[in-house]
Order: sequence, then structure tokens, then C-alpha cells
Amino acid sequence: MDNKKTSGKNFSRRQFLKASGAASAVLGSAGLGFFGYQAGKDPESYTGQENFEGANQTFNRKRFAVDQPTYRKTGPTSRPDARTEVIFYRRGTFMQQWKDETGIKSLEPLLQKFYEKHPEALELDLYNMKEIFPKQMADYRKYRKQFILSEAWSNAMGAVSPPRIDKPPEISDFPSSRRTGKPLEPVELKSPEKTSRLIKKISHELGSTLVGIAKLNPDWVYKYPMHGRGFKPDEPIEVPKHWKYAVVVGAPMSWDPLYANPNYGTSYDAYSRSCIIAFRVTSFIKQLGYAARPHYPGSSYDLMVPPILVDAGLGEQGRHSVVITPELGCNIRPSIITTNIPLKPDKPIDFGVQDFCKTCKICAENCPSGAITMGDKEEIRGYSRYRLNVEKCNNFWNSNLGNLGCRICIAVCPYTRKSNWLHKTALNVTVNDPTGISEKVLTGMQKHFYPGPDPQKYYIPSLGGENASYRKPPWWLRTEDFIE
Amino acid sequence: MHFFNSGLFWFIEGIFTCLVVIGLKIWMEDKGIPMPIWKWLLLGLWVLFFGFTIAFVTTSLGENEPTAAKIGGIIFGLISLITGFGLWRLLLLRRKK
Repeated sequence: MDNKKTSGKNFSRRQFLKASGAASAVLGSAGLGFFGYQAGKDPESYTGQENFEGANQTFNRKRFAVDQPTYRKTGPTSRPDARTEVIFYRRGTFMQQWKDETGIKSLEPLLQKFYEKHPEALELDLYNMKEIFPKQMADYRKYRKQFILSEAWSNAMGAVSPPRIDKPPEISDFPSSRRTGKPLEPVELKSPEKTSRLIKKISHELGSTLVGIAKLNPDWVYKYPMHGRGFKPDEPIEVPKHWKYAVVVGAPMSWDPLYANPNYGTSYDAYSRSCIIAFRVTSFIKQLGYAARPHYPGSSYDLMVPPILVDAGLGEQGRHSVVITPELGCNIRPSIITTNIPLKPDKPIDFGVQDFCKTCKICAENCPSGAITMGDKEEIRGYSRYRLNVEKCNNFWNSNLGNLGCRICIAVCPYTRKSNWLHKTALNVTVNDPTGISEKVLTGMQKHFYPGPDPQKYYIPSLGGENASYRKPPWWLRTEDFIE
Repeated sequence: MHFFNSGLFWFIEGIFTCLVVIGLKIWMEDKGIPMPIWKWLLLGLWVLFFGFTIAFVTTSLGENEPTAAKIGGIIFGLISLITGFGLWRLLLLRRKK
């Protein structure tokens, strides 16, 4: 009897475990499917653009939606007077107009009326001006040193417009005091290693997706200048002595529009970020008392950018002449800051791009204008590299609709992939395989798995094309869905 | 970070995997199929490849790359089917009747 019971119990437990195993196999496989789908569309995979994909707005507001806002109307309403009720505005006026001898009579009638009505505000504003402000100024001089970095960082954050570059570098690049106009003394730095670490962290804080530091090779500086950079137009550039190092910063273009090139993508989303980062880093370095000059898109440069990215260890120059980075592929729009702040340069990297580009040729095959060579490297200005026919390239991207430009070579490059498990694995396998077999397999897969239209179709209809894009535009750029 | 990309999701996947292994072990015992270590290893490799196939297809769909999902699904799916069939035959070797 007991044996039967035990055996019955065992049987049911075994059956249960078998059923659980089968159910788990189904659920586990389904979970893997959901994981894959999520990995494919996860905002976290849009390297350098994560926050523009709404990655942080994750709270389910619909569950908490109400018909009325949670503030309550309790009486007759009135709108605020910005001149008196906004403290930042009022304080400025008050400090300019207040005179001890005449009291509020020295103030404009509007403020007089306000203070008559609000004596407690006058008392506090006076305390601010007479007690807090002078003490703060005294302590600022005494203790400022402790906050040099945070002050420089804060001011750099506000530097969103280009610094004036209307004089030669020997004048424009050097910092001067905002108050006195005198040259700023450089702060004493502990070591180039520490400063490099600081500049890199600050550059990331200021919005840069990638940062690298190179010793500036004078070969990359233009022989004659562009307009509007403070040089005499017809005189050759003599490389300034204080252009010792180049800090490279940059940001990627929005990923989904990038794949919908040539018509839907734009360089300006990354250009604008790249510029602002460069202005900010320039401001930061200058506030430490060192010389700095930004070189930024679209055409404010005194030097060639791609080889400096290579020197700074951010990537390698590909067949299409664009620099390929491990994190963003070619989807980076860089700016350079030339400076004399003592830094420790990064080393260049070799992660197999030269071998890869020799056989891949996807960019050349997909280039509508034929600007990218299918041939070998040539010697250009003393360096071996692939020749790009810039006239053909320029002619094509000037013919396009949408946002002008092309960017097809960037979109089709196998390295230009979002950061999910699939592409990260492919990259790690390729860069760690010394045999080159995985490179060939993955290039073949790229050609067959991710095909684009016939390059002729990228042209406008008048030039025999169909206004085609490499991929469909994202939903938010489909005009037909929103505009009649 | 969404649930299906989170640590919690992989924790739950781990529990499912344990349950699958336990259930499979009991099922094999009941069917009289011997499971030496090399069979478990082969089975593990096949499961990894099968999982890769599912994740490849769905990731490609999530990335808006239907061609990659289709071609990858067909190629990797066929490889999974054929090797799965072969593995099944191999597992049944020396089955106690």
C-alpha cells in the first residue's frame, strides 16, 4: 500500500518536472524572441543618440492620466509682472538704481510701487545687495581656487555659440579675463596624464560621444587658410607654435534617418552637436588659462580632420576616406580643438580596417556617383590612401532632394551599426580573428542580408533615378503620414 | 532599459533553462536514453545555435531589416532543423528498450 502511494507520488512529481521543462523550453524560446526584438529597437542601441530616442521617458503616464491638473483654482486669477515679480530681472534693476541716500525714491516708479506693496521683499533685496554680495565677492577672491574646475565647466556649458576668431591664432586662441581684458595666467597643472583624463571626462560631460587626443602633425594643417579664420587670405599658414595637441570630439547623426539616406538623413544634427561641444571644450581650456581654437563643421577648419582622428586613436581611415571607429562605424561628425594645454596623446589603433577595406568594397559598389575607388591605395601628398573623386561625390550630393548630401557610404559601411548584441558580436569576432575568415563570411553576409537598391535609383528622376533611399525613413519623417 | 534587455529577464531565462535541463534529464531517463556528458555538450551547442537563430530573426525585425530576418531565418533555421534532426538520431543511440 505504502509503496504504491510513494510510487504514485514520484510519478506525479516526475511528470510535473517534465511538463515544467517543456513549458520552460517554450517560454524561454519565446523570451529569447522578445529579447531579440527589443535588442533590435532598444534606444540604448542608438550609440550617442540614446537620449534622443526617448530612452529615459519610460514612466507609464497613461495609467495616471487625470482630467484636471492637480493644482486648484481658488479665486480670481492674475498674470505675473515679469519686471517686478521675476526676481532675476528685478534684482538687476534694483542693484543699478538703488541709492542709500534717497531710498526707494531713486528707483523707477514701477519698482517703488512694488516695494511699497511688498516691504518684506525690499528688506530681503537690500540684505542681498548690502550683506551677501560684498561678502560673496570677498570670499570668491579668497576661496575661488577650490572651484576653478566647476566654474570653468559651468561656463563651458553655456558656450553654445562660436568664439570670435577674427584675428590670427596668436591673438584669437589665447584667453583673456572677461572683466579686465588682460591675458589669463595658465593654472598650474599636476601632470599631462591627469589633464588628459580631465579633458576627456569634461568632453564627455559636454556632450561628446567619443574623445581622443593627438599630438598635432603639421602635415595636416592647410597650406593656405579658409576665409573667416583670422588669417590673411593669400599668405600661407605658418603652423602656430601653440598648436601642440589636437583634442578630437564628435557626435553621431541620428541612426534611423542615417540609414534612410541620401534623402532623409542630415549632417546637421551631428554638426550642431559637434560644434557646440567644440565651443564648450575650447571655453573650458581657455578658462584654465591655455590657448585653444576650435575647428568645426561645416567649413571652419584650418586643418584636415580625418588623419587627426586616426592619430588620436579613434579609428582608421576607410576606403571611402571617412574614419571608421569601433563604436560608431563612420557615423561620427568630429570637431578638433588645437591647444597648448599639456596633454598625453593617445596611441593610434589598428583593428583590421585596412585589411577589411581591401576586400569589402561595399561602399564603392553602392556609391551612386562612383566617387569611391574600387582600386588600390595611391600616394597622395606623400601618404598612401584610397583616392576619393571629390568632384563626382560633390556633384551627386548637390543633385539630391531632401537635405542635400549623400552619406550612402556611411550608411552601408558594415561597421556603421547600432550597438546591440548582434553587431557587437560581429565586431568582436572580426577584430579578434587573425585568420580573416570571419571577415570574409561577415562581408558576404552583409552584402546578401543587408542589400540596398541599385545605386542608380538614388538619383533624382530627372537624372534617371527614383529618389530611392537605402532604407525606409523612420515614421516621424514620413511626410505623407502627417501632412496633407 | 526595457524588461527584455534587463538582468531580471536573464535571471528568469536562467530559471527556465534549469527547468528544461531537469525536465529533459527525467524524460531521457524515462525513455531509457543514456545521456553521457558529450551528448549534453552537443545538445547545449545546438540550443545555443537555435537560440541564436531566434534572436537573429527577431533582432533583425526589431532593427527594421526584414531581408536580413528572412534570409537569416531561412539559412539558420534550416541549419537548426537539419542539425536538430541529426542530433536527435544521435541521442537515441544505445537506447535501452
